Amino acid sequence: MASVRLENVTVRFGSVTALDDVSLAVEDGEFVAVLGPPGAGKTTLLRTIVGLEKPVSGSVFADDENITDVYPGDRDIAIMFQNLALYPDRNVYDNLAFPLKQAKTPKAEIKRRVTDTATVLHIDHLLKRKPGKLSGGERQRVALGRAMVRDPRVLLLDEPLSALDALLRLEMRVELKRLQRDLHRTLVYVTHDQVEAMSMPDRVAVLGSGVIQQVDTPETVYHRPVNQFTARVVGSPPMNFIPCTFDTSNGVVRVLHPEFSVRVQTTVAAGIVDGASCVLGVRPEDVQIVSGSAGAAANVFVTEPLGGETVVDLHLGGQVVKALTPPAQAPQPGAGVRVSFDPRRLHVFDAASGAALVSAGGADGVFEVERPSNS
Amino acid sequence: MAEIHLQHLTKQFPGGLIAVNDLDLVIPDGSFVALLGPSGCGKTTTMNMISGLEKPTSGEIYFDEQPITRLPPGARTVGFVFQNYAIFTHMSVTENISFGLRVSKPRPSESEIERRVGEIADILGLRGMLDRNASRLSVNDMQKVALGRSMIVNPAIFLLDEPFSNLDAAFRAYMRAELKRIQHEVGQTMVYVTHDQVEAMSMADHIAVMDAGRLQQYGTPDELYNAPANRFVAGFVGSTQMNFLPATLVLGEHGAGNGRSLTLGIRPENVQLAAPDAAEATLAGKVNLIEPLGAKDVIHLDVAGHGFRVVGTPGKRPRVGDNVGLVFDSARQLLFDDETTLAVDG
Repeated sequence: MASVRLENVTVRFGSVTALDDVSLAVEDGEFVAVLGPPGAGKTTLLRTIVGLEKPVSGSVFADDENITDVYPGDRDIAIMFQNLALYPDRNVYDNLAFPLKQAKTPKAEIKRRVTDTATVLHIDHLLKRKPGKLSGGERQRVALGRAMVRDPRVLLLDEPLSALDALLRLEMRVELKRLQRDLHRTLVYVTHDQVEAMSMPDRVAVLGSGVIQQVDTPETVYHRPVNQFTARVVGSPPMNFIPCTFDTSNGVVRVLHPEFSVRVQTTVAAGIVDGASCVLGVRPEDVQIVSGSAGAAANVFVTEPLGGETVVDLHLGGQVVKALTPPAQAPQPGAGVRVSFDPRRLHVFDAASGAALVSAGGADGVFEVERPSNS
Repeated sequence: MAEIHLQHLTKQFPGGLIAVNDLDLVIPDGSFVALLGPSGCGKTTTMNMISGLEKPTSGEIYFDEQPITRLPPGARTVGFVFQNYAIFTHMSVTENISFGLRVSKPRPSESEIERRVGEIADILGLRGMLDRNASRLSVNDMQKVALGRSMIVNPAIFLLDEPFSNLDAAFRAYMRAELKRIQHEVGQTMVYVTHDQVEAMSMADHIAVMDAGRLQQYGTPDELYNAPANRFVAGFVGSTQMNFLPATLVLGEHGAGNGRSLTLGIRPENVQLAAPDAAEATLAGKVNLIEPLGAKDVIHLDVAGHGFRVVGTPGKRPRVGDNVGLVFDSARQLLFDDETTLAVDG
């Protein structure tokens, strides 16, 4: 196992820049997820690490060896693709043994490695079966096994769970996390599924339009997003963005909205200009439906029951704001309600750049939600 | 608009596989019904029989009491949206949306076509991009165009086959509420095929859960979640899977079920963590793994050799290896017969 590092890597396809000056360091034994919407450049990033794409500038390192110009087959990096590409006419044993045979491994050694890998993945009882006779989850494990069997320096996984049913995906998510914890592989995992990116890895690299937006632990990305892009990519339903303006009269910073205002105590000064547009970010679980006359007036227009909780779609000052509530407390569509926000979980973004200016929950801001500014 | 009635519908494929087995289902006029199940459960085959792309082996389909089983697809006034948005990439958004009207007979006047396109564009939020080439749209907007193309011919019934599965999570969450709103506005009967229980739960008035070609339960999202008919439905619905334990483990002798072997089911959010020796704890377990999801954690435990999940709050997170007590909300626990898998009254 080894570390892998991209340094200022740019990849272009004709006039399209797929990766733009990307730097990312994955430590030895670390599990990093690369998260982004379709077209963000995630797969290009994996293909660049494995050597299937060549950067126009920048370098790729495995440990401290510069492998930018090394042939893919000589990099000792394994990749598992979304479509598993198992050999349908060969049994599980031969599928697993294939990379070792290619590498001219002695027969006894092949047998030992295949058996070990199959045991770790709980497919040792299936070695004689052909892929067509396996369940979806079993096939997934065989493909993973084939990538692992040579004990590569780095293991790359490209949306490995996206073809699976929801239930199987839940199972494999836990399974993969457990495997990684037990085996300490260096793992780079590409996904567009924020739940996978939140729940499994040590760190998440958020990729948007070919640019790394943020690299941090899942929790930091969730609670301290550096910009609106990152804030929107993690969390479901996504964070609400409410256009507001700054008011700094009397030496007090307020974020003003026609229906409410938020007082912000902060030492941050950059980007906070009296009268400037800004965006208040609040996650659906931090939107509270309150009783009495406190809070901003809103109307319920759709409710989405999810079983354990209900998404309430509210009209607040001409825009839709989603709130997450326990089912028993969900109001009826058409009802008029009052809403407030958990002041410990708010974010203010710059309206033009989308960069986070102040976030609650950290050291840089204390927020207080105030009564509607017109009352 | 129409009510759909499926009567003893069966589809057997030439190889012998019974994809849909004696399905009875009434989809009321103007309602939003989801067909939910894992791949291979028969939901898409059912959809294809409603649209006319597949012929049933036996059984009958009625639209508003008219048997339509032998009608060709084109005569059924059914609109489709598929997973891979079938749009013409060499045409503008307007040309794509208006296509169905332009080929219909009699063809509406240009001003009528323009009015209808405008109406649909407003509903879908495509007003600003009508002149754009469809190939220049984002994946998300392409799917809206595909939806608009089906809507414009005003079909009696709308069939959607996993239309959002190619879209990113944030847009999916947005389109969920949008589609629900659109359905309320246009009032058409909508049948929505999905393997994603979140989509089915959040949008549909009624959900038909299928497995192995058979209808498992037909009910509101609430009924499915809180009163599942059998163990399959209980395990399939809910984003963190229901926990199942041998009933005797939790209820002692009471779980023996008079000679029947029973399984107890309880949802992860209906179990609280406590100290391992707490008096109110029903069982004890050991923390195996924690999945942080942002707003909440899923805590995986080992309970007497069984995998078990609890929903936790990130602020009060135990550590891997900790011993914990489990407090069950006994009003929310369910019992299933191991032989029939059906829910039984505790």
